[in-house]
Amino acid sequence: MLAADFQETSDNMVEGSVTIQLPVAEQARLNRKLADTYHRYNIDAVETENRNKYPRRFNVKVGKIGLAKLLFKEFFKYFGHWDVVFSRPCTYGVFSGPVGGFAPRPDLCVGCLRCEVQHPEFVTVTHNKELAELGDSYLTSKHIATIDEESRKGSVPVRGQGYRGRFGGPGFDQMFTDMSEIVRPSRDGIHGRELIGTSVDLGSKPMRLKFGADGGLLEAPKMMTIQVPFFYSPPPDSVATGIVPEILAEAADKVDTLLFLPENTVTNQGLAGPHVVPIIAPGQIGNIESHAKGTRMVEMSSWNLTAWNQVKEHPLLVSIQLPLAGDWMSTLMEMVDNGVSIIHLITDHHGVADDGRFVMDLYQEAHFALVDKGCRDEVTLIGTGGIAGADHLPKAIITGMDAVGLDYPLLIAMQARLTGDTKTRGAAAVKLPSNLDKGWGVQRIINLSCSWRDQLLEILGAMGIREVRRLRGETGRAMWCGHLEAEAFGDIEGFPGGEH
Amino acid sequence: MAKKEWPKPSPKLLEKTQHLMHDGFHQRAFPDTPYELPTALGDARWTDELIASAWYMAETGECPDHLNYKTGKSGGGFDRLAFKELPEEQQLAADAEVDITLELNRRGDERNKRTIDVPWYGGGMSYGSVSVNVMMSRALNAKKWNTLMSTGEGGYPSELYECADNVITQVATGYFGVEEKSIQAAPIIEFKYAQGAKPGLGGHLLATKAGEEVAKMRGSVPFVSLFSPFPFHSTYSVEDHMKHLDWVKTINPTAMMSVKVSTPHDVDMVAVGSYYAGAHIIHLDGGFGGTGAAPEIAKKNIAMPIELAIPKVHKFMQMEGIRDNVTLIASGGVRTADDMAKAIALGADGCVLGTSDLVAMGCTRCSNCEGGPSGRGCPWGLTTTDTELQEWVQQAWGADRLDKYYTALAKRMKEILRQLGLSNIGELRGRTDLLRYIAGGEA
Ligand code: SF4
Ligand code: SF4
Repeated sequence: MLAADFQETSDNMVEGSVTIQLPVAEQARLNRKLADTYHRYNIDAVETENRNKYPRRFNVKVGKIGLAKLLFKEFFKYFGHWDVVFSRPCTYGVFSGPVGGFAPRPDLCVGCLRCEVQHPEFVTVTHNKELAELGDSYLTSKHIATIDEESRKGSVPVRGQGYRGRFGGPGFDQMFTDMSEIVRPSRDGIHGRELIGTSVDLGSKPMRLKFGADGGLLEAPKMMTIQVPFFYSPPPDSVATGIVPEILAEAADKVDTLLFLPENTVTNQGLAGPHVVPIIAPGQIGNIESHAKGTRMVEMSSWNLTAWNQVKEHPLLVSIQLPLAGDWMSTLMEMVDNGVSIIHLITDHHGVADDGRFVMDLYQEAHFALVDKGCRDEVTLIGTGGIAGADHLPKAIITGMDAVGLDYPLLIAMQARLTGDTKTRGAAAVKLPSNLDKGWGVQRIINLSCSWRDQLLEILGAMGIREVRRLRGETGRAMWCGHLEAEAFGDIEGFPGGEH
Repeated sequence: MAKKEWPKPSPKLLEKTQHLMHDGFHQRAFPDTPYELPTALGDARWTDELIASAWYMAETGECPDHLNYKTGKSGGGFDRLAFKELPEEQQLAADAEVDITLELNRRGDERNKRTIDVPWYGGGMSYGSVSVNVMMSRALNAKKWNTLMSTGEGGYPSELYECADNVITQVATGYFGVEEKSIQAAPIIEFKYAQGAKPGLGGHLLATKAGEEVAKMRGSVPFVSLFSPFPFHSTYSVEDHMKHLDWVKTINPTAMMSVKVSTPHDVDMVAVGSYYAGAHIIHLDGGFGGTGAAPEIAKKNIAMPIELAIPKVHKFMQMEGIRDNVTLIASGGVRTADDMAKAIALGADGCVLGTSDLVAMGCTRCSNCEGGPSGRGCPWGLTTTDTELQEWVQQAWGADRLDKYYTALAKRMKEILRQLGLSNIGELRGRTDLLRYIAGGEA
């Protein structure tokens, strides 16, 4: 609750302010009370266990005869030293079931390999193929396992030991984010992350304010704020109706972000509200009037000048989808020239445009085209496609997006499995857990959102940036693996494009 | 918060467990046993062969012929660089003297002069993230090799004073365990501004690992998570940083100053600033470095890999005309003797090893150091202070493993120099002309 909502009744008070005639102690009390009404934005994560069994990480096989021989031998060798006889190599309880190693509990295995190294003759630990097979070439089993943990715990995954993966990589892996070593614009660090802002504005930022003769503001800026720089994109067609949109709508409400949905789903399922953005075809744009119930924004599913002219003065915010295909840059410019203030750039689920290029390049092109045109702050650019991990969020923002859409990660958080064409937007076949219920699903999405926001705070904290708005298009905060390699290795024989 | 303390293992249990572990390392790493490498062992950076070769080296003091002990499979950085060995007849003879010692104080001031016998030393691992046994194993080995190891940020267990001349005292942002006595005892004081695995995020010791002894050492409450903030909240400029160094110089007028930083975009500027503030050693810790606990998002994404930072800093310091007055040390993803030699060829003077020491003592890189689901820490007794588990690594055994491991590393380092026709490690510094980039795959 903000100061303007303050309800204390007192002759000496007007709503939202305290006069100076009060005795000092009384005024201090009221000020304290006023301050206490301030609610800092927070996402309430609650640990929410998996509904369906998640494939375990490792399989543990124990040769029964080998184990029996060992036990027999140790029984006599250490007779009387029962701590030795009953000791187990596993500190995670894999061999602590009723019959020990004869019926191991591989679900508990974390792959330390102590059992296998100590007892090479009869223990084998292998990666579980079922887990490795999850996902596709882009949204890998590693992403899925991470999203599973994030939506279960709602926290930032923390582990020991260093990085285990490849040096650079394709897609978002091409970028390292910067950090600020000593001189920092803000003193955030680990104790100040709560002071970093993650809210972003959607709409056109007024370049100047206009006041009337009486000093009043002539025109209120047409924009809105969401508390996180991500929103929920529409689920694939196979789950576009039913419980999934309901879950996402409630989670969007609780997280204070937006869910984009086809307008017929919004209408048929009664989901209209401030956190739901109905997507309307240009031909149906007249329907905008029917979405008045608390709706703050609608989206037009493609660019159409006539339809836009119909709604550009409408009090609701209107965003327009722009698939990154064909000559999208000309369309972008046309939209901007005609005063469109929110443009939603869209690619397939792998973040790839029809010319094969990745979103990070395309986002930069769009962003810098508007910078060059001198109108970047008058337009909000949002993008959907290719976000599969928490690190992708800041990277997409650095390359120029004000906010980005989450798609598959939301389904993975609900333990959905995707099959068929997982690349084309809308096409994937989605298998939801049979026991999916709304409360559970909502909490899992909230947890994922909390974890990803907290991870965004880590990145911002490391940079010493106080608010995510300042990260948009800050390519100076990006380090590109390819550029750094050229700088570091350019004079080494054999380096592609190097001096030799 | 009360937490179950496990009993110390009985001598018989200790004997059995150690025997099984040590035998296991042997069985997996040697060619003359019936067993292959565990299929779940290793990752792109530390492959199964790299891990097993460290076990082999730590048992024999030799490099294995049957395993790739030189490179991983990360597809970039060190793994794409190879040396341009001279034709055999131009190489130095196998018995030719090769000097791999490293002088650390190049400022020409009145402070400690120190030459270490190998161009590397042990990186910081705090008491709490590892046990006293692990710290002592590393310290005893450092003493034997006339090199160094760092306390990390967690205080200075009294046992370490036995090796004080080989122990670097680290001062980090939480000032945990920092005492006048341990600053006065150290030949080098290391200011840790940041750590490569979690640059800009400070440090984190999870509650389950902050037991009674650890908490006592750190002046905290047992079993409460401990955070080191980021950055030093007294340092927001190079001038502040200089004040910091001056403060420590007053307490210990002979110690050298080392400044450990990670690898941001302006790492070259940071390095030069640190030099002008009075540092003798600039220690760069790259983004792929080890940690007892770090957010996964930080490990790959924040700051750059060490291979990319070294030439940047080396060249910038050359341009500034200060390169020969400072020792540039590289860490964070430096795994092998080959990596170290490549780091030096890229422009470093020497390296710091952390994870490699642990792997030599049995680490399988399972990433459960932060506590894992058991909350007890490393099942191999490395990154844990659990009363039972920490006993699996006994000091004499650990020191012996590291001694043999360093023997093998030194042999390989000398072999590389001979193959390049160099008789001194200093001659390799910045010699990118002796490297070849393997564009089509791993070196
Ligand atoms: S690999 Fe480690 S965690 Fe898994 S069963 Fe063996 S000892 Fe237990
Ligand atoms: S828990 Fe132990 S074995 Fe596993 S990575 Fe950490 S130090 Fe290595």
